[in-house]
Amino acid sequence: MRGSPWSGAACLLAATLVTGTMAAQQIDPRLDRLDAVTRSIVGALVDSAVAAALPTEPLIQRALEGATKRATGEVIVAAVRRLAQDLAHARDALGGTASPGELTAGAAALRAGASPAFLTELRRTRREPLIVPLAVLTDLVASGVPVDSAAHAVVALASRTRDADLIEFRRAVERDIALGAPPAAATAAAAGLTAQSVDVNAGARQQRPGRP
Amino acid sequence: MWPAPAARPVCAACVTAAFSLLATRAAVAQATGNVDVAVSTVRYDGFLPSGAASLTPAVSWERPGATITARGTYLRFESGRRSLHGILAASVLTPRPLLPAPWRGELTVSSGGSSYASFASFWHATGEIRLHYLAEGRGVWVGGTGGRTSYGRSPRPVAVAALGAWSRRATLTVGASASRSFVGDTAYTDLTSRMHIVRGTVAVDASVGDRMSSRGGGHGVFGDGSVTLTLGERTAIFLSGGRYPTDAISGTVSGRYLSAGIRLRTVTPRPVLRAVPTPTQRSPANGDGDDPAAARLDAQRTPDGSVRLVVVAPAAATVELAGDFTDWQPVQLRRNAAGTWETVRKIPSGVYRFNVRIDGSGWFAPAGTARATDDFGGEVGIITVP
Repeated sequence: MRGSPWSGAACLLAATLVTGTMAAQQIDPRLDRLDAVTRSIVGALVDSAVAAALPTEPLIQRALEGATKRATGEVIVAAVRRLAQDLAHARDALGGTASPGELTAGAAALRAGASPAFLTELRRTRREPLIVPLAVLTDLVASGVPVDSAAHAVVALASRTRDADLIEFRRAVERDIALGAPPAAATAAAAGLTAQSVDVNAGARQQRPGRP
Repeated sequence: MWPAPAARPVCAACVTAAFSLLATRAAVAQATGNVDVAVSTVRYDGFLPSGAASLTPAVSWERPGATITARGTYLRFESGRRSLHGILAASVLTPRPLLPAPWRGELTVSSGGSSYASFASFWHATGEIRLHYLAEGRGVWVGGTGGRTSYGRSPRPVAVAALGAWSRRATLTVGASASRSFVGDTAYTDLTSRMHIVRGTVAVDASVGDRMSSRGGGHGVFGDGSVTLTLGERTAIFLSGGRYPTDAISGTVSGRYLSAGIRLRTVTPRPVLRAVPTPTQRSPANGDGDDPAAARLDAQRTPDGSVRLVVVAPAAATVELAGDFTDWQPVQLRRNAAGTWETVRKIPSGVYRFNVRIDGSGWFAPAGTARATDDFGGEVGIITVP
């Protein structure tokens, strides 16, 4: 006895809905390292990211990082939520065609202090993937280069430079900074945040208040 | 009045030489400027104390490995007399291939002048060469200076031999130096130590020294200190004071001073992702080990496209690594010769966070990679796989 076509379609629809619901509720097994409450909230954040077409792997890794570092569930959830927001902002700045790697690098750059306008400008000036330029920017800022200077340099180089050259550029800058070169010294003196050098570079002195 | 006419060709040569050296990598250059406005009480040795108001503009043009700084001071004393000082300095670190690591050379040229009222004026032009030996967070250097200085008569030769050492730990930097100076018939030896520390928005500088074996340069203990409080993105206030010795090269007369003022900046950096890392646990990366090269990570691409991660930790019994590419599950590294530990992994192109753990202690970000504050109260290393 054959059923009607409508009943078959209804069964298919029901199966699809059930499967979809199960998929949405299925939490990545790697998150089993989290406690039940945290796992549930992180799972919901991951589902939200899926719905928003954002990459989910960075969110999972951030949660796992927190678990490895024995962070509390509250801290882990806050970190994952913050990263999700950064990824969304990065997507807004880089456009819907940005790859998951670019979004991850863009989120890190935004967290480092880069402006969304910088990400948009970088997308406009460079056709190749932006993972390395964004990572170079983040690394430079992490090394103490003022974000405006770092962004200006990366944008200037990105349009005509290969990834390997950008990485070498970053190494050269970081090496000089590690040896006491001026950008970090200027950052330290102007912002009062850190002291990258005092006596390494004789020409970079005289930042303290002068004598009469 | 500044600089003195005789010094102008030297200034021009300094600027021309410096810019020619810097032009190739101007893309990473930045210009900064600030103006200090202060009131002071100053008592030059042998003179009555006097109140003074000062205006000190300073600009610098900088890029990794080089800097040009110009600084001037206009002083107006309560007597109505005026004093002008100015200095222009350029410094260039030698390109990396020129000297084998960890050696680094530095050339500094400096020229400036000063005048007081209308009857006393100085100018000087000097060049200094330093040879640095640099390790992680510390270094020593030896240097020599030569040049000319003049005080309203025929120029006198300048020769200075100096050596120094410095060390940086978190936000504290300390240094010490010894120098022997010969300026014409004047000669003296200075032993000086200094420190610089930053705590939040407060920066403290202090120095103390002793002048000895002096012939015409005075002698005795000197020292001064300053506290700078950053109020906003472009503003800071400071308080400084102390005693400083005669500088026979730049024509500064020894004296005591106390100054308070405000600093206005023309360029302000945004907050950085990482200031100097605050050690959160004892680890070789935080300078707790005997070997400053310990716990350094190096990433190498292998011919088959994998990534070899090598941690240099000679004194370690176990080394583990966890990161985005291990699902943050600790992976024990394999020991090689010469105190290196490694793992080879297939890692797709991207930006990854990771940490290293030695002998089961806390996770830390090793030297040799970019570091950032993580979201969990510590630091995380960042590696980019192109």
